[in-house]
Amino acid sequence: MVISQDEHLEALAKGYRFDWKDESHSVFEPKRGLSKAVVEEISSLKSEPDWMRKYRLKALDHFDRRPMPWWGADLSDIDFQNIYYFIRSTEKQAANWDELPDDIKGTWDKLGIPEAEKKYLGGVSAQYESEVVYHKIKKELDDIGVVFTDMDTAVREYPDLVREHFGTLIPANDNKFAALNTAVWSGGSFIYVPPGVQVDIPLQAYFRINQENMGQFERTLIIADEGSYVHYVEGCSAPIYSSDSLHSAVVEIKAKKGARVRYTTIQNWSTNVYNLVTKRAAAYEDAVMEWVDGNIGSKVTMKYPSIYLLGKGARGEVLSVAYAGKGMHTDAGGKAIHAAPYTTSVITSKSVSKDGGRTGYRGLVRVEPDAHHAKSNVRCDALILDDISRSDTYPYIEVEDETASLGHEATVSKVGDDQLFYLMSRGLSEVEATAMIVNGFIEPITRELPMEYAVELNRLVELQMEGSVG
Amino acid sequence: MTSTSTTFDDGALASLPDAPGFTSALRALAYDEFQALPIPSPETEEWRYTDLSGFALDFQPHTPGHGGSAMKGAPAHGGDLAATMLQHNSSVVMTTSGQDLDAKGVVFCDLDVAAEKYAELVEPHLHRLVPTGRTRFTALHGAFRTGGTFLYVPPDVAIEMPLQTLTYLDADGAAVFPHTLLVADRGAEVTFIDRYASPDLASAFSDAVTEIVVGDGAHVRYVSIQEWGSGITHLGVQRATVGRDADFRSLAIGFGASLARAETETILVEPGGFSEMLGIFFADEYQHFDHRSIQDHVAPNCTSDLLYKGALRDASRAVYSGWVHVHPEAQKTNAMQTSRNVVLSEHAKADAIPNLEIEANDVKCGHAASVGPVDDEAVFYLQSRGIPADEAERLILTGFFQEVLDRVSIDEVRRGAELAIQEELERAS
Repeated sequence: MVISQDEHLEALAKGYRFDWKDESHSVFEPKRGLSKAVVEEISSLKSEPDWMRKYRLKALDHFDRRPMPWWGADLSDIDFQNIYYFIRSTEKQAANWDELPDDIKGTWDKLGIPEAEKKYLGGVSAQYESEVVYHKIKKELDDIGVVFTDMDTAVREYPDLVREHFGTLIPANDNKFAALNTAVWSGGSFIYVPPGVQVDIPLQAYFRINQENMGQFERTLIIADEGSYVHYVEGCSAPIYSSDSLHSAVVEIKAKKGARVRYTTIQNWSTNVYNLVTKRAAAYEDAVMEWVDGNIGSKVTMKYPSIYLLGKGARGEVLSVAYAGKGMHTDAGGKAIHAAPYTTSVITSKSVSKDGGRTGYRGLVRVEPDAHHAKSNVRCDALILDDISRSDTYPYIEVEDETASLGHEATVSKVGDDQLFYLMSRGLSEVEATAMIVNGFIEPITRELPMEYAVELNRLVELQMEGSVG
Repeated sequence: MTSTSTTFDDGALASLPDAPGFTSALRALAYDEFQALPIPSPETEEWRYTDLSGFALDFQPHTPGHGGSAMKGAPAHGGDLAATMLQHNSSVVMTTSGQDLDAKGVVFCDLDVAAEKYAELVEPHLHRLVPTGRTRFTALHGAFRTGGTFLYVPPDVAIEMPLQTLTYLDADGAAVFPHTLLVADRGAEVTFIDRYASPDLASAFSDAVTEIVVGDGAHVRYVSIQEWGSGITHLGVQRATVGRDADFRSLAIGFGASLARAETETILVEPGGFSEMLGIFFADEYQHFDHRSIQDHVAPNCTSDLLYKGALRDASRAVYSGWVHVHPEAQKTNAMQTSRNVVLSEHAKADAIPNLEIEANDVKCGHAASVGPVDDEAVFYLQSRGIPADEAERLILTGFFQEVLDRVSIDEVRRGAELAIQEELERAS
């Protein structure tokens, strides 16, 4: 993200710096509420094949029949009938920023996306409300057969690939919110990387909610063919409203033999967004799957990116950083399911809670019978910055093979008085010193981020520390 | 739920020995709860790893014991004891107690006797820490328990040698309800050993409850040695409350039973409390162990330290799930929770779920869990020094358990556990 010193200072003074609202854009009058008719309408607006329409309706049925989760965060305030399930903001997708309406383009400019695209991205997808309004991939990548498009387009242009993989890792009946996504999904990314192709520069998607009570349900499918590499980065934000929005994505990833996929998320929703996301990856023989998952914003987040290690020698890594401030409950974590021999996984979680916020690590490491010589290590550290905040750790370890070796460690602590004293004796204010300690605490995560995001995350931490102490 | 036939019915209840004094109302209440409560479902988080939905409660509700020569098979305690009690099946058959204990005002007797003679000491505590309505099984316990142990240590009285109750079960198809209520008054010091033993049986049921009140400044050591024979299903709930600047150390040794589920909970209710919770287990054949723990920090400035170590062989299964809960007021908490499992054979299976729920910020809390085989490199190292592989594995496992045993201060208990571990290890090779 590109942001000047002045803007940064101004942002510090204001708090959440993504809180601007565009005038409402909609090609047709949006309607609230969920019904069979709404699902049919979404499908028909997209001129979808019949199998997808039927699939959506089946998913809606699952959603209706399934109870709300009894565990995790409190979701009782979600009013499904007050949500907008589909808003089309532009008539057609742009491949040039100037084709967008002025204020929508202004939003992307403020987020720094066009500038980042020029500097260091291989492709950009910009989703505004329900649909991708801007999309572009570098010609060089296109030429070597890399597919990076929005999901709606993929259903039309790559029907066989989509039909082969869609919903295979996260079936419609997997959980209530995956069912909801499957019923009303719109937008998201589809990526296919051909065998042996290394995409050296990241592909990025940015998700923006503008409308109050918006429901955003993007659907992402990434297939990295044998021996390929891709790094996908996603960011998100929304204006602050007094009533709630809902973001419920489904992300499926397949890393085939010898492939490596890194998926980086910096989630910075405003604190009126429920963020209930299902993310799952399959890693085949010698493949590497990495989730770098930063959850800084939202009212409630429940998200546990998982990796199914299905081929011999596959590796998985989850790096999770979670922050919860006032009124926030960030329940994050990760899962690794070892279903093949010699698979390894590492899960590292860092969480910070403050001003009454509640962070949680919820995870599972499971070794199936015959996944011999599996190895896993889980490390969770939590910082609690004041006496009204809370941290929970719920790690599940299930081992059905005697040669597997698993370890889990966790600590919960506060910012050390002696550390603070030392830094303050060197002339730092308490706020600066605390921010510095917290930045050091989450450093194992930030050092894995693309440079621009690492800077962004550090700034966010400084911003969140403002007014926290003294 | 209650329509499924059970031997624990109105008739069985009516034919129990009379419940003394205030306990008759408790029994009636518990029986109502038993009839109302379902068998816990494996759909719930608490029972996710132990599925008793098909467990038939068709045991003999009451089996009077008579001690004497029937107790021949019972294990002997090698060390010195201040006092012992023997429970044979459903009856307390013997209590020995030295005169000096009586002189100091120590009460050590059959819980039913105590409920009548020392109601003022028993009533405030019986089923307060473990209410009968907690589950269908604690309700059953409340309704059908006879016998059990009551131990009261008056203020500032220190008992040097351990006291022990041995519960011995030898009737096929019987249900027993061991209950220990231990009240250590302010500044008291006591060590108590609960020992459960039986021969191998076709089928029997042990439904145990232990309630421990550690008064302000008191020091209590509690050891449970579960060496039931095969065929026995053991469900135990142990709950202790720790007073101001008091010190509670518990050790659970579990080798026996076909299925054993042990819930061990400590509540630190006053500042300055300390709780140590140690556990060792060795599972083999088709044994199923489900260990659950809670370190509940309600008051500030308390410390708790849990360490469970176990080995699994054959097709056995062990689950450890624990909770550290730090309440908002419990600042300056220091809590640690560690579960280590060594898996020795292909079909054994171990799960570990060490949970933390922290609502205070000025705390030090941590947990660690591991599941894995004996370290190949360590075996290789010992082999390179001329030690055969199986011997090397035994040495490494002995060392593995030693970390817990080194913290056991009662010589007899430590030696007994060492011996039991060696027996298990030798059986393996």
